[in-house]
Amino acid sequence: MTNEIVWEKNMDSAIARARTQKLPVLLFFHNPG
Amino acid sequence: MDAVTYPDEKVIAFVQDFYIPLQIPFDAKPLSSDFNIKWTPTLITLGSDKREHHRTVGFLDPDAFIASSLLGIGKYHFDNDQYAEALTFFEKIISEQSQSDSVAEALFLRGVSLYKNSGDPKPLKEAYETLSSQFPNSEWTKRAYPYRLL
Repeated sequence: MTNEIVWEKNMDSAIARARTQKLPVLLFFHNPG
Repeated sequence: MDAVTYPDEKVIAFVQDFYIPLQIPFDAKPLSSDFNIKWTPTLITLGSDKREHHRTVGFLDPDAFIASSLLGIGKYHFDNDQYAEALTFFEKIISEQSQSDSVAEALFLRGVSLYKNSGDPKPLKEAYETLSSQFPNSEWTKRAYPYRLL
């Protein structure tokens, strides 16, 4: 296990992984500022 | 969220086991428009078909995050007609997150999932009875009100 959440930054790659791993996506809209 | 919730060990393990995590700036077009983002943090449980199953707006501490996420993943399975899988997540909220704000909705959806899985309406009535006794003022008790007659 990593000691931090490794976030995808791109919708298409997250969706592709979700399809392959049969998991939902946690989509986090944040304020980087 | 970045300072308190996401560094939490329980949260890291939970996200790793149950989600593909995707972080997007609130003003990134076209996604912020597509998802009608008005405030941060906004958290959405999304299927691989980009269908939305659950949304929260505002800060969640680690326990609230896990409870809300269990509800989101349960709803993801529920919306995909996977009632047995949905039940495992609703049960987890009821048994392991009993102090959370998500329990009343989980009790409601557990009753519906049990009914959808078996065709037996008794779990709907039981859901109403549990809700009215434990959460008399919850909106979910009001939504389950007709089930008292089953």
